[in-house]
Amino acid sequence: MASLSTTSLSFKAPSIQSTRISQVLRKPSSFQSIAFGRFQSSRSLRLQISCAAKPETVQKVSDIVKEQLALSADTALTAESKFSALGADSLDTVEIVMALEEKFNISVEESDAQNITTIQEAADLIEDLVQKKPATEAS
Amino acid sequence: MRISVMSQIQRGLSIELPSLVPLQLPSRMETHVWYILPDEVKSTSLLKHYSQLLSPLENEKVLQMRGDELKKNALLARTLVRTTIARYQTNNAVDPGSLMFKKNMYGKPEVDWQNCNNPPLHFNISHTDSLIACGVTAHVPVGIDVEDKERKIKHDVLAFAKRFYSIDEVDYLSALPDPEVQRTEFIKLWTLKEAYVKALGKGFSAAPFNTFTIQVKAGTRGGYNLCETSETTATPLGKTRKCDGGWKFALLELAGSHYAAVCTEDDQASEGSPMRVIVRKTIPFVEDELITEPKLL
Repeated sequence: MASLSTTSLSFKAPSIQSTRISQVLRKPSSFQSIAFGRFQSSRSLRLQISCAAKPETVQKVSDIVKEQLALSADTALTAESKFSALGADSLDTVEIVMALEEKFNISVEESDAQNITTIQEAADLIEDLVQKKPATEAS
Repeated sequence: MRISVMSQIQRGLSIELPSLVPLQLPSRMETHVWYILPDEVKSTSLLKHYSQLLSPLENEKVLQMRGDELKKNALLARTLVRTTIARYQTNNAVDPGSLMFKKNMYGKPEVDWQNCNNPPLHFNISHTDSLIACGVTAHVPVGIDVEDKERKIKHDVLAFAKRFYSIDEVDYLSALPDPEVQRTEFIKLWTLKEAYVKALGKGFSAAPFNTFTIQVKAGTRGGYNLCETSETTATPLGKTRKCDGGWKFALLELAGSHYAAVCTEDDQASEGSPMRVIVRKTIPFVEDELITEPKLL
């Protein structure tokens, strides 16, 4: 069982979204990657407590997902929409991640890429990576 | 038998579905591949029978799929897994609806035999819109991945490969003269690499795609090697690369429309001998068709 000390948590904002924590903890693959996976860097430790991503980010992710999966424009997507429930296979997920990398000018590690299962998770990861970019890289 | 079952189903009669024909476990050298073409399954009463085999949780997940086609395919995928495993009856007949499943510690699905009659049976499933396949082995782990041959990649194939594949695989793809050939070879490599990761069963982070190379084994037909990739600089192919065995691969064309890659662990008993793949197309309880000469690539 991964133990969390306060030094290993990164707080992006004063308030903590408890639903975000329970989402991450409940998902077996992310839990397993903490307990059993190999860490290349602290960046691959996905259990971070942060505010949910901005609605604009969620919208941009939804648009990219719709395009990749060739969904009709009026398909109702929410932040909780699961890629697999929309018919995405692993190749689709990787293509979605590539499109997100291009759109947001970020670089996603492969272990993170394969672990994204919902629009919310993709949006959160994007905002996390965008924030971490050094100031000189501002696009 | 098949004709009367289908006509009863079509007339909406409530019927007892015939039992699955029992089979022996695959030998150590074999992988059995079973596949369904969803377009061939149209009867709503047959689909209803299938849904009765699923656990409440499985049915719930089917309902979470967005749209009728995805729901149907999810139902067929679980039906394929349950009915396929139930065919391999070692001692007593297995009711496909009674099988229980669990996940290994990395999330790979496996049968939970509940400590009665543990046959050494392994399975793995893969699906696309138009084909669902299940691979079965005995004694060794198995991974399978299928892709539509015509699948279009939205990104530039070489850019995609540079981002995710190994250096040697990028070199291989870059050297191909025709973009369409690049695309099909890219997809074949994808299925082989996915099949390996799924056979390994430790999640994607255990074997990132750029850390291993799969290449055609020179001098064989349909043989593939798994090699480690040096992450730093590209070294000449085959010189310092570690290409030890440990895993067997087969790449097939199914139904004229899909590539299917199968990967199994190479255990000592069958070391060196190529994988023998036995392919059957099925509509569970209705018809099974042995594919006498599966097309190996």
